[in-house]
Amino acid sequence: MKKIDWNLVSTHTILIIGVIFMSLPVWVAFATSTHAPETILRDGLQFWPGGHFFKTYNEVLFVEGGVMKKVTAMAMLKNSLILGIGFAIGKVIISMLAAYAIVFFRFRLALPLFWIIFMTLLLPLEVRIIPSYEVMAGLNLLDTHTGLILPLIASATGTFFFRQFFMSIPDELLEAARLDGATPWRFFVDILVPLSKTMIAAILIIMFVVGWNQYLWPLIMTTKEENYTLVIGIKQIYQVLADGGQLPQYQKAFALTILATLPPVLVVLVFQNWFVKGLVESEK
Amino acid sequence: MKIKNLVMAGVFSTASLMTSAAWSATDIQWWHAMGGRLGEVVNEIAEKYNASQTTYNLVPTYKGGYEDTMTAGIAAFRAKKQPNILQVFDAGAATIINAKGATVPVAELMEKYAGGFDIKDYISGVRYFYADSSGKMIGMPFNSSTPLLYWNKDAFAKAGVAGPPKTWEEFEAMAPKLAAAGYKALAQSHSPWIFSENFHSRHNLQMATGNNGYDSTDVKILYNNPHMKMHWTKVKEWLDKGWYGFYGRAWGDNQDAFVQKKVAMWLGSSGSFGGLTKSADFKFGASFLPYWKSVIAEPKGTFIGGAALFAMSGKPEEENKGVADFLKFLTSPDMQYFWHKQTGYVPITNAAYDKAKADGYYKTTPDAEVGIQQLNQPGGEWTKGYRLGYYVQIREVMYKNYENIFSGKSTVDEAFKAMETESNALLERFHATYK
Amino acid sequence: MKRVQFEHSTIPYMFVAPQILIIAVFFLWPAGQAVYQSFLLEDAFGLSSRFVWFKNYTDTIWSPSWLQAAWFTMIFSTLVTFLSLGLALLLAVKANQVIHAARTYKTTLMWAYAIAPPVAGLMGNLMFHPLIGDLYKFLNAIGWNFDHKLDSFDAGFVVVLISVWKQTSVNFIFFLSGLQGIPKSVIEAATLDCRNATRRFWSITFPLLAPTTFFLMVTNITYAFFETFGIIDTTTRGAPGGATTTLVFKVFQDGFRGADLGGSSAQSVVLMIIVLTLTVIQFRFIERKVHY
Repeated sequence: MKKIDWNLVSTHTILIIGVIFMSLPVWVAFATSTHAPETILRDGLQFWPGGHFFKTYNEVLFVEGGVMKKVTAMAMLKNSLILGIGFAIGKVIISMLAAYAIVFFRFRLALPLFWIIFMTLLLPLEVRIIPSYEVMAGLNLLDTHTGLILPLIASATGTFFFRQFFMSIPDELLEAARLDGATPWRFFVDILVPLSKTMIAAILIIMFVVGWNQYLWPLIMTTKEENYTLVIGIKQIYQVLADGGQLPQYQKAFALTILATLPPVLVVLVFQNWFVKGLVESEK
Repeated sequence: MKIKNLVMAGVFSTASLMTSAAWSATDIQWWHAMGGRLGEVVNEIAEKYNASQTTYNLVPTYKGGYEDTMTAGIAAFRAKKQPNILQVFDAGAATIINAKGATVPVAELMEKYAGGFDIKDYISGVRYFYADSSGKMIGMPFNSSTPLLYWNKDAFAKAGVAGPPKTWEEFEAMAPKLAAAGYKALAQSHSPWIFSENFHSRHNLQMATGNNGYDSTDVKILYNNPHMKMHWTKVKEWLDKGWYGFYGRAWGDNQDAFVQKKVAMWLGSSGSFGGLTKSADFKFGASFLPYWKSVIAEPKGTFIGGAALFAMSGKPEEENKGVADFLKFLTSPDMQYFWHKQTGYVPITNAAYDKAKADGYYKTTPDAEVGIQQLNQPGGEWTKGYRLGYYVQIREVMYKNYENIFSGKSTVDEAFKAMETESNALLERFHATYK
Repeated sequence: MKRVQFEHSTIPYMFVAPQILIIAVFFLWPAGQAVYQSFLLEDAFGLSSRFVWFKNYTDTIWSPSWLQAAWFTMIFSTLVTFLSLGLALLLAVKANQVIHAARTYKTTLMWAYAIAPPVAGLMGNLMFHPLIGDLYKFLNAIGWNFDHKLDSFDAGFVVVLISVWKQTSVNFIFFLSGLQGIPKSVIEAATLDCRNATRRFWSITFPLLAPTTFFLMVTNITYAFFETFGIIDTTTRGAPGGATTTLVFKVFQDGFRGADLGGSSAQSVVLMIIVLTLTVIQFRFIERKVHY
């Protein structure tokens, strides 16, 4: 007689329920995107795919005016991609360096600087958007990718996260490295960075999506529709919905959503490996 | 040899001068809030304009919804990067018009560069909303509409009720019969615009002191009056009796209720018939906004909602000429008729209206005319519109209190008192800012 | 701070410089402007301004709508933080335990984070739509007289649910990376010492996870206070009757939508002070319990 491992059963049950809760909306978005707008208007969200897959996705991706007359989803995808990747990489580099300095060095301004960095979490971009715009205009960075990315890097999430991780690194590690004669730079590059692989992966994944999903800042600081991001396209369709008076193109909004979700999912799949437990060679 | 070189040089430089002249069309930046199909029509208008002349190049850019667009314009203006034309909606009119020096009045611009401007060219309902207290038009109404009643002809037939109600008293007589046939009688999509602002206009009631806010910013709101309270007490009664359906604040949700045949009548905008034609699978008609016979015997017209185009100041004179030129193009009968046919918004000039009539448009699409007819109704002292600051926030206060009435959280008296207090506080702040 | 540190003087400044520079230009300067603006009554276009000391503060802070928003924000933030942290921790721990289908679970649990807030709101809207929403029909069918357009509790339920949904996957990713960071040898040793999985979790794993947990708690509270307005904006818009308006949403409404720059700046400053206080409290009292 085989004994049922209740622990295992309950674990899988919890996980399955969790997956349904978290993934169902994604699936429903996809299914709904393959239906005609009239269907959605009449019956609401769809659980099973309909027959409009090619029509909708073709319109959205390649037809100008699929979303907005001058811009195709491909163009917006490109903008979102640059924003997401640029932002994520920039964030990782800058926050790791800053966190490293604050944790591993004894210098007078360490604590005040940490709090200054931390303060950035307290005043979200939306609130300081008008002055930020003025700064951008003054620096002639409107309508540029640099201008899009830089102000977003200012916030503290990454630094705070790496600070937590660095604080948990055993002191013995640093002592041993210093005994070996390691310079701060060597310690950082040869020891700290490899140790932080899972953390870097997490931050890259999260920050990519943050950049990817930017709506307000790109909307305000770009003056040409060719520079718009994917979320702006989605929001625009939603605007039409809220304002009424036209047949809301829900299916296009959802198609755009699925397209918008694909690259982040790919990023997750790529970096999955870094989440694998037991990076044996990094064990101390 | 030398002469040949000289000739070549001459030819080349002339050629490059010519090409550079052709390529140096002045850019006119136009920021707008028209999304979806409306945005497509805007782009078509720009294309037509650019094809009609070579001096200017009109560049429309969609900047989000009304509020997003206005804020983008504000941010740009403060950074000295403003566009030439900015589309600003009715609730934002006070903000942009009271900022002295932010815009150049379109009347002045067209007077100077477009060969003149006569406000009588425009249909009466649109003339004064975006004008100053002396009647000078500051913003050019662009997408204008007015509240109308849409009724489900099939549902009425089923319930054995004749025609749409002209008055609310008639409505109350019809509602039980419609309920018996399985319909909620009414829904509407914008409590402030339809059931407050245009309620006042239709019944020729004053909305705010200071000539509805046109004369100064030191004004108070007058919503807390017996007629409004009577009306809203009634609406709450209708809600409780099942004669009125509330589907949330979003315009589309209440329209959907009509399309899905849950309600037999819906108060929407004069432009809604286009969307309804595509999505409703029943016969419907449009008629005037009902009024209370007990409040007024001869109801007046309504005023416009929507947005207007403003010419931002601080731009080079050459570009201002372009703006005037484009506005002239836009207000031509052909373009107005085109815009009207494509979007359902009303044509703002009498000439365009005549053109549409002559073209037989209203024989094939009678619903399209109802809005203009309502706007052309006799005007009263209080039908020109309003000019109130922080009106976006005031509308928010109104929504909030109407919801409290519906949910039963406040009585009608409490709600209107709260509305009055908060709105006047906002108006006082606005006045302190702009005096 | 750590016992052992480098003693160089210029290197740390060099490392920290890029971030500080960006912060100075793109945060401190605009933030300073915003604070300055809170003391002015200025027309939106910047053409006329007056210094009015604390008038903006008194005007907006003690209004009934601000107090209503403050109350809701407290409840909302607490709920969203603890629910999404708890859920994410549970899922991360379980996902870490299984061997079969571990990858699938992890990927499908991470997807949700990629959905942009307006979209999450849009879907929530459609699911709860009075005419066509499946969830709406379902809830009413089981006897809950659900009407989030008019009932404050129901509206609150909707925004909390969607916010928790969005935040859980982010927390999941961080918790997972934290769990992965725990060396295998430690887990093996612990398993030998302590057979009870639950006890093992609470006495060994959870404390080791503490740095991550602390980070998540602070950032979740901040997220709940600041970043959720996207969801509120696309679902309830603060309705009904202001019941689901949070403080940050109000800032957005007054400043971004209503062009009242002085008033919204004052509100942001107050909001900033509130969250700063909360954060300092967390650092002071909770961080000392965190073992690094």
